[in-house]
Amino acid sequence: MDRYSFSLTTFSPNGKLLQIEHALAAVGNGSTSVGIKAANGVVVATEKKTGSSLIDVSSLEHMAMICDSIGMVYSGMGPDFRVLVNRARKAAQTYRRTYMEDPPVRILVKELAGVMQEFTQSGGVRPFGVSLLLAGVDDRGPNLYQVDPSGSYFPWKATAIGKNMVNSKTFLEKRFNGDMELEDAVYTAILTLKEGFEGQMTEQSIDVGIISTIPAVEGEDTLKQSKFQRLTQAEIKDYLSNIA
Amino acid sequence: MDAQFAIVGRDFAISVTDTGVSRSIVKMKHNQDKSWQLTPYTIMTVTGEPGDIEMFSEYIQSNIKLYSVRNAQDLTPKEIANFIRGELAEALRSRNAFSVNLLVTGFDKVTGEASLYRIDYLASMAKVPFGSHATPSFILYSVLDREYTPDITLEQGLEIVKKCIAALKTRFVVDMPEFTVKVVDAQGTRSIDIVQV
Amino acid sequence: MSIMEYCGAAIVAMVGKDCVAIASDKRLGQQQLTVDMEFQKVFPITERTYIGLSGLATDVKTLHDRLRMRVNLYKHREERVIEPKTFTHLLSHMLYERRFGSYFISPVVAGLDKNNRPYICALDTIGCIDSSSDFVVCGTAATNLYGACESLWEPDLGPEELFETISQTLLSSIDRDAMSGWGAVVHIITPSGVITRDLKSRMD
Repeated sequence: MDRYSFSLTTFSPNGKLLQIEHALAAVGNGSTSVGIKAANGVVVATEKKTGSSLIDVSSLEHMAMICDSIGMVYSGMGPDFRVLVNRARKAAQTYRRTYMEDPPVRILVKELAGVMQEFTQSGGVRPFGVSLLLAGVDDRGPNLYQVDPSGSYFPWKATAIGKNMVNSKTFLEKRFNGDMELEDAVYTAILTLKEGFEGQMTEQSIDVGIISTIPAVEGEDTLKQSKFQRLTQAEIKDYLSNIA
Repeated sequence: MDAQFAIVGRDFAISVTDTGVSRSIVKMKHNQDKSWQLTPYTIMTVTGEPGDIEMFSEYIQSNIKLYSVRNAQDLTPKEIANFIRGELAEALRSRNAFSVNLLVTGFDKVTGEASLYRIDYLASMAKVPFGSHATPSFILYSVLDREYTPDITLEQGLEIVKKCIAALKTRFVVDMPEFTVKVVDAQGTRSIDIVQV
Repeated sequence: MSIMEYCGAAIVAMVGKDCVAIASDKRLGQQQLTVDMEFQKVFPITERTYIGLSGLATDVKTLHDRLRMRVNLYKHREERVIEPKTFTHLLSHMLYERRFGSYFISPVVAGLDKNNRPYICALDTIGCIDSSSDFVVCGTAATNLYGACESLWEPDLGPEELFETISQTLLSSIDRDAMSGWGAVVHIITPSGVITRDLKSRMD
């Protein structure tokens, strides 16, 4: 290792890692994302913020499929997110290459959390300016995880990250219940985003992704059948019109 | 053309090697001890390519000694055998494989059992009641198969050793005037002077 | 003389009704010379998945050691027991990793999955999976085993019938193969546990 490449993340005298706290601040500035685990699937939703009306919103991607059974959204810095998407996709494919099946959500989360932790301790790098929400299905059922810049991760029933995190979480605490079906969860997720949404919410200004567990068919793998998908603008429009 | 064989009883093991070193048609030495003390309760006998024997055995002996020094505890015969096999197997698939055949005999103080591990140059390992290597083994296995039972005493074991040596002397084309016989048991290891037949 | 026939082996796995069986001989040889009559060729991977390794003895040990490590890591990382099918793909991956310098091993996998469905398959030295719904064989006695399996195996055998069938199959096959035999061992894997029995056979 280079003698002069010190880690930027060093402890402050009071025992805090300021770089990580700054990274969390960057996440706090990012657009809000919410995730809800329903009885039969998971939904994640996020705002698509644009600085200008001239931007072609349809090309913006705030959400990524990692493998058939897992999807991911973020709050924070877009470019950092894409680095993590690449890492996650590669990890998922490496797992598939070895075991011929998709990784369990927890395994992928640990992998990503590991990457993010490494960036808090290596020389010449800075922590990631994103928090992630991972939604996926595996043989333990639906899963929703949050991963932070420090590399900590948490399993959630429902949560929010980003600018409106506190209000959204309070909203979710009131609205969430465990027997909620995926369809209900999508509405709840959109409603949560709508709390504190600046301006008019349209099908162009949010991104919604769902994955459902499909009842097992005798002799077939459930995992193969459930697929993470982003809702189309038409689908989001339907949901929005039902709310209004 | 070296001869080596070993026998295990309930609580002892005997390992035997000839003492000749030859190159091509010339006898270079006639009093070579082909056994290596690894711990007070474990020895290995090694035959094969002379250079490889020295390199590999010294490497193994040093590392097992190092373990003993570092941990103030000796490895058991089973652990030693598996370590040796691992090193040999790794070398086998590299550019410097070792042409060595080994017999690891030892006494485990904890279980009170003696054991013999037969490891060939391909790093095939087997825990056996008696074992031998290379050409002399064709003759020796015949004798051992006939004479061996699991509950032999040390005296009976030494009688079998004598029969094996006799068979080599009468039937094996290479002249082997002398043998080293070593016993491993609860008392440790010791050499035994076998009255030549 | 091929390196695959250097040590000698006879391994067979069979599917029964809600159970599978895997059996092997116990000989370790160096060509015609028998070196050991208690050599293990079938190994437990989990409580419900077994693997049989035929081929070069050194690779039997090396591969089993590496597999044990990978499966233990899997168990700790994923906090679950590896399924026979997943394990097979792991094995296949590990074999193909050594595509140009392969292990001289052709493995057989037998197990019950989490739904108690039987799973058996055989692989070649570089990890091509050949799964089957009746029986798989490998080793120097493979041709003999195929013949015996074809005539003795039938669908939906219970654990005891399966034991009888696989034992007769193995014993009659090793009697006509000079490179394998010298005792045999049978494992019957059932949802309630594994039954392991040693078989006596001709020792010549």
